[in-house]
Amino acid sequence: MYQYDQIDQTLVDERVAQFRDQVARRLSGEISEDEFKPLRLQNGLYLQLHAYMLRIAIPYGTLSARQLRGLAQIGCKYDRGWGHFTTRQNLQYNWIRLEDTADALADLAKIQMHAIQTSGNCIRNTTTDQFAGAAYDEIEDPRVWCEIIRQWSTFHPEFSFLPRKFKIAVTGSPNDRAAVRVHDIGLRMHKNATGETGFEVIVGGGLGRTPFIGKTIRDFLPRQDLLSYLEAILRVYNQFGRRDNIYKARIKILVHEIGIDTMREKVEEEFTATKDGALKLPQEAIDQIAAQFAPPAFEKLGGVAAEYANAFRTDFEFGLWARRNTFKHKQPGYSIVTISLKKEGEAPGDAKAEQMTAVADLAERYSFGEIRVTHEQNLVLPHVKQADLPALFRALKAYDLATPNVGLASDIIACPGLDYCALANARSIPVAQQIALRFKNWERAHDIGELKIKISGCINACGHHHVGHIGILGVDKAGEEFYQITLGGSADDQAAIGDLIGPSLNVRDTVEAIDTLVEAYLRLRKSSDERFLDTYRRVGLAPFKEAVYAVA
Amino acid sequence: MAKAPKLDSQPQVVTANDLKSGDVVYLTKVASWSRRIADASVVANVEAGAALLAIAEAQAKMNIVVAPYLIPVDASSMPPKPIQYREVIRADGPTTETRPAA
Amino acid sequence: MPLLKTGPLLKDGRLVGEDAFQPVADDAPLPASGAVLISYARWQAEKDQLGGRNSPLGISLPNTVDVLGFGPEAERFDLIVLNFPKFSDGRAYSQARLLRERFGYAGELRATGHVLQDQLWHMQRSGFDAFEIPREDAAEAFATAMQSFSHVYQPAADGRVSALKQRLAASRKKDAAE
Ligand code: HEM
Ligand code: SF4
Repeated sequence: MYQYDQIDQTLVDERVAQFRDQVARRLSGEISEDEFKPLRLQNGLYLQLHAYMLRIAIPYGTLSARQLRGLAQIGCKYDRGWGHFTTRQNLQYNWIRLEDTADALADLAKIQMHAIQTSGNCIRNTTTDQFAGAAYDEIEDPRVWCEIIRQWSTFHPEFSFLPRKFKIAVTGSPNDRAAVRVHDIGLRMHKNATGETGFEVIVGGGLGRTPFIGKTIRDFLPRQDLLSYLEAILRVYNQFGRRDNIYKARIKILVHEIGIDTMREKVEEEFTATKDGALKLPQEAIDQIAAQFAPPAFEKLGGVAAEYANAFRTDFEFGLWARRNTFKHKQPGYSIVTISLKKEGEAPGDAKAEQMTAVADLAERYSFGEIRVTHEQNLVLPHVKQADLPALFRALKAYDLATPNVGLASDIIACPGLDYCALANARSIPVAQQIALRFKNWERAHDIGELKIKISGCINACGHHHVGHIGILGVDKAGEEFYQITLGGSADDQAAIGDLIGPSLNVRDTVEAIDTLVEAYLRLRKSSDERFLDTYRRVGLAPFKEAVYAVA
Repeated sequence: MAKAPKLDSQPQVVTANDLKSGDVVYLTKVASWSRRIADASVVANVEAGAALLAIAEAQAKMNIVVAPYLIPVDASSMPPKPIQYREVIRADGPTTETRPAA
Repeated sequence: MPLLKTGPLLKDGRLVGEDAFQPVADDAPLPASGAVLISYARWQAEKDQLGGRNSPLGISLPNTVDVLGFGPEAERFDLIVLNFPKFSDGRAYSQARLLRERFGYAGELRATGHVLQDQLWHMQRSGFDAFEIPREDAAEAFATAMQSFSHVYQPAADGRVSALKQRLAASRKKDAAE
């Protein structure tokens, strides 16, 4: 894992000092709220419905046990003993006092963490595959590139006042788990004909009010040119992106309006002028960063561990969990474990301080001290010996962290919605809670199989509803909370935006409609191997629509 | 965000967030701020609402609260209950415990 | 775009009393001599007459001008003023870097408009060396803001070496010593 050196630490400490001064100027009245707002937003501090909210960057979703334990402590000291993991692989504290923020940030700096560029119109935290460095299907560890991007984009003098926020995602595997096609820039690593690794560069994807699937601007970008190319795209965007209308300011609108070919011409012109300049990455510099992501000291294991095989035979619950919540590791004898933060009835993504501490301890014991945060609001222990899985399962269970529902109907993504968010139209979390309870029965849930339900409390789409197999969007209808349902969205390699099924429904009817949609799927599917999304793609909207509005 | 309804002669109170803590606060009769809507000064016409808001805005300038605004309430019971559900949630806190469908 | 003078001028971290450049409105006649600051529109219209002028010439560029087109003419000027209509409108950062890094412009590069203390660091890294600031007494705060950080993560117009390259140099030196 990447460790700060003196340079990184100094910069984060200096940022804390700078922010401390900004808060002091606000509290003393030297600057007004209008002047302070952009400053606090550049450091991830929002004023929400009930309190200030502080958003902490978790660079590319990787945490050490020490960091997670620190986050739990900070959650107890400055929040109410909670943390909320988000779809952007970040953590949010929902109950922060302005007076305390500088101290909280100083505590964060001690564990090499910060809130830099977690909001504002700048380059945000770069996200990636939560299984990076562990997945069997990976070409290369994408975190090396995320770290290179993190450094280049941090305090970037030219790109701190872009037309709008800017999000970059990287996948190092052909099976995209980072949703690269719905980011401002998506980078997909692949090999060219000569076996060299480089990037497909995708630009102009995004969700929000106007969802777009990104377009390929370059099929193959050599690794050493990554930063020059990114800078070229950002420079074109900074100058030509729209600034007259906040809803049209994302790069997706620029790409849509001028067309991908014109965009490519402009970017290539810029790139040609700079590619052999100071941003070109020497192989040694890449190697230096890569060395920090060297794989841990895996044991050489062969065959199936006896403990694992036994537990599978004798412990039904374990088997259920292991089938659902583990993923194939590249190292024989190891598994990747997803820890569900979606116990039915709980708020998706919320973790109590005790739970965070427990996961930190378990990571130290079983996963080389490493934890990942997923964009589906779960946690991951990336490197667990299969022989340790039964013990890990029992330990997780004691903390309510062993719900066997990863990828199932109750593994719902939900944004904070109107319970916290000042921009919301409607609540998200209670809807997620009620739907999840409908799928508490494991037999039914496992029979239904993979089903991604995603909920946003307004059109900003923080809950990714556009790319949910079932998407739910909160709207305000004459002063009441209503919800629109979309079907068939997907964030994977065949990314698609969901189709609206019909008029919006109130909370109760929405929860009922989800049940109805699932029942319709169970009737319509060809076999239990056909996922909800596949059935939808095969039969289309009509039978589902009919099912919902016939009963409603 | 749901649009605030146009206020006329209905009961209304001023709310804001406390600058230092971010807490939801209401303007009281003695022009101080309380975390409880029960303490809020309720007025019932446009002029009185505007006067209340002017006091609040002066206090925002003095860096006591952030972004004050008027909200309609049902004052027939005590404590007054906001009309908009957004404001109910602000007054009562998050509703994220599982409750039966409305 | 009018030539706005919003306040005192901060150059090389110091306040300069009197701006040497006299702003001239588009419809006013140019003084026969002395340093003047004209608009981009006037330059476009009167290039031929202005080109031969012997005293220092400054130009104010709206942030919508494509510097790739204007760049080759930059060396003709002693002062280029770039505009920040709102602090959040960051187009002039790109203009500044292009002028310095692509077109080798070496004259004064001045930021005007909504220039706030908390932006100075980014501005000077992008190549600005003069700033019209809101209040004279803010000069000191501005000067400290320019020293916010001891390292940089990326190359820009100020020639500082990025952390990546610093580390590389350090490890090469170590290797050489071994
Ligand atoms: C609670 C305070 C939050 C506020 C005020 C907020 C605000 C916004 C806004 C205004 C947008 C729309 C930007 C645009 O389309 O130009 C947006 C998009 C987004 N936000 Fe949030 N958000 C919040 C919380 C979250 C949380 C908790 C998550 C993760 C669960 C999140 C993840 C995202 C994502 C993934 C997008 C859409 C993707 C895109 O950028 O196109 N946000 N947010
Ligand atoms: S989608 Fe809307 S309601 Fe949900 S967190 Fe984002 S801005 Fe708030």
